[in-house]
Amino acid sequence: MKNALFAVLFGAVVVFGMFSQGYCEIGVTDTEIHIGQWGPQSGPAASWGAVARGTDAYFKWINATGGIHGRKLVHHYFDDGYNPARTIAGVKQLQEQRGMFAWVGGVGTAPGLAVKEYLMQKKIPWIGPAAGSWHWVTPPHKYLFNVYPLYLGDAQLLVEYAVKKMGKKSIAVVYQEDDYGEQGLAGTKHMLEKYNMKLAAAVPVAMGDSDMRPHAMRLSRSNADAVLLFISPVAASRIIGIGKAMNYAPQWMSSSTCGDCPLMIEITQGLYEGVITSSFGMLETGEKVGDLQHINDPKHKLVAEYKKEVYGKFAARDERWGYTFVVGIGLAEPLVEAIKRAGRDLTREKLVEELEKMENFRGVLGGITYGPFDPNDPLTRIGQQELFLHQCTADGGSRILTDWIDTEYIPMGK
Amino acid sequence: MIDFIQMVISGIAVGSSYALMALGMVLIYKASEVPNFVQGEMALLPVFIAYMMIYSYGYSVFIAFFGALFFAMVLGCFLEFAVVRRAKNPNILGLIIVTIGLEMILLGLVSWKFGADQRIMPFPISSYASIMIGDLYISTMDLVTLFVALAIMIVLFLFFRFSKFGVAMKATQQNPTAARLMGIRTNRVKMVTWGISATVGTVSGLLLAPVIMEPYMMWNPMLKGFAGAVVGGMTSLPGAVFGAYIVGVVEHLFGGYVSMDFKAVVAFAVIVIVLCVKPSGLFARHYVKKV
Repeated sequence: MKNALFAVLFGAVVVFGMFSQGYCEIGVTDTEIHIGQWGPQSGPAASWGAVARGTDAYFKWINATGGIHGRKLVHHYFDDGYNPARTIAGVKQLQEQRGMFAWVGGVGTAPGLAVKEYLMQKKIPWIGPAAGSWHWVTPPHKYLFNVYPLYLGDAQLLVEYAVKKMGKKSIAVVYQEDDYGEQGLAGTKHMLEKYNMKLAAAVPVAMGDSDMRPHAMRLSRSNADAVLLFISPVAASRIIGIGKAMNYAPQWMSSSTCGDCPLMIEITQGLYEGVITSSFGMLETGEKVGDLQHINDPKHKLVAEYKKEVYGKFAARDERWGYTFVVGIGLAEPLVEAIKRAGRDLTREKLVEELEKMENFRGVLGGITYGPFDPNDPLTRIGQQELFLHQCTADGGSRILTDWIDTEYIPMGK
Repeated sequence: MIDFIQMVISGIAVGSSYALMALGMVLIYKASEVPNFVQGEMALLPVFIAYMMIYSYGYSVFIAFFGALFFAMVLGCFLEFAVVRRAKNPNILGLIIVTIGLEMILLGLVSWKFGADQRIMPFPISSYASIMIGDLYISTMDLVTLFVALAIMIVLFLFFRFSKFGVAMKATQQNPTAARLMGIRTNRVKMVTWGISATVGTVSGLLLAPVIMEPYMMWNPMLKGFAGAVVGGMTSLPGAVFGAYIVGVVEHLFGGYVSMDFKAVVAFAVIVIVLCVKPSGLFARHYVKKV
């Protein structure tokens, strides 16, 4: 009798518990969807912390405008200091103690690589790593959806423009000694081979090295008439400044990492004027080659709306409005769109399904396309491949040099 | 040959920043016998204070810079008085950890208050103006830094040699007990030494800031300054300066002729070599204590 009573009570508790939880997907309740992100809020890479803060402000705006199908987005982001050991510790803690439905963004290749296998083994969707590394798509993973165009694409566009449009005969590259820089170097070499050209100089920059004098000297001795920069904004500003001091004035060209024209014009005291950089966002329908752009220009309707509604209402008081903040929004847009399309009955598999149906989705970034997962086809997870080039102007804006151009995927090692 | 001369010039140029940091570290080492790992941040905070004075309060560059130097003096004195002196029976390792802790606190304070974004300090001289002699160049800022570093060295030399307080500092460094017996207030001397060290470091920071400013800007100069001080001798002011210039020149020659990849770490290889060959440093005297 006692055992029967116990069994009934136990069953009632289980059933009651199931109904009161209301939902059976990790990180999803009746009223909330939990999304995780890491980012360097302190340390040498802290300027990239604005990515996570941009996503956070974007989610707050979505919640303030009604959420998605009656649920609010709860954004858990933590400071990993760009230290992979801290990244994996923080991700595991959040995932195992709180339970995230999915992860978005996440600055840095090294931190991302530290958590990739963990997330993929647990089949946890990760959308929009904030780094253009080939590691996200080579090999592709079912639950990892890249958004950020690969750095190889930057190299393609820049070399093509330098050689075909500008007639440059001698190209050098300055590259950071990490995955980002190595990809820029590999992409540049690949493109130069296509044009039967050799690299005039390949100048490595160690992380944390603040003295760019030897690097600038090596470039000037190479007599390169175009120099591609795959380095940090601080290193770029120093190399260009020392180049000016040495009377060395090639056509400076840089990847999107140094494409924040307002910031670069400010920290180079105007020397960044004329630098050609690649970009993967803020080129809206109707804008054409030759047009001027500026991140504060209200003619960029979506960016202006985000500035007013997201940044203006939900960003911290001292937050800087700039490209990095906007990237945080752009990387999260596909996730938000997929959650909307998945409907009220939200599961990770449904999210993946909706993402795979995405074709040329455009938010503040360029066209994002995925496809049904194929472990032999990186393009099913590559996201955005198109980039455009612009040239920084003295007021911190830029002039559009090309339209959106689709870049090719170059298999790793080639 | 031109390349070699250019590398030496550039090495001397960058060595001036290292020399200022090395001077600050040696001053404190001689007074408190501790390698001071908060040297960089003792310069960093006053530099950002100067930036705040210019942009938030509208002061001129001249007044802001002097304000920063005054703040640095107060900051150095405060750190010694309030933190280092309060360490109970500290050993060397304990004091090093204290300075590392202070470094983290000051760095965190600057990052929290001012953010991580890069910025530049206004300065009357353009960071990118230069003097060209044939194919050789030296930027005007580098020349200014070089002259300022030399001027500070001369001032410190005269201060230690001819001023009463300077002699008191030397006495305290050589024998604190005897100095106290002679009526020298050794605690006050140590406190002021930290203040002077912070001020010297801040000069380096203020001369770097027109090129680029961000919370980690003093990390590299501090490390290379430490390397220079070890090479030249942690107990020798002129030795530390020479050591810093040696580090700067060796770095540039190594980067130019051997490997750009390892340029940033060659300074530390030089430390290891010097410590193996002459642990007291190239220019310091090696003291032997009889027990």
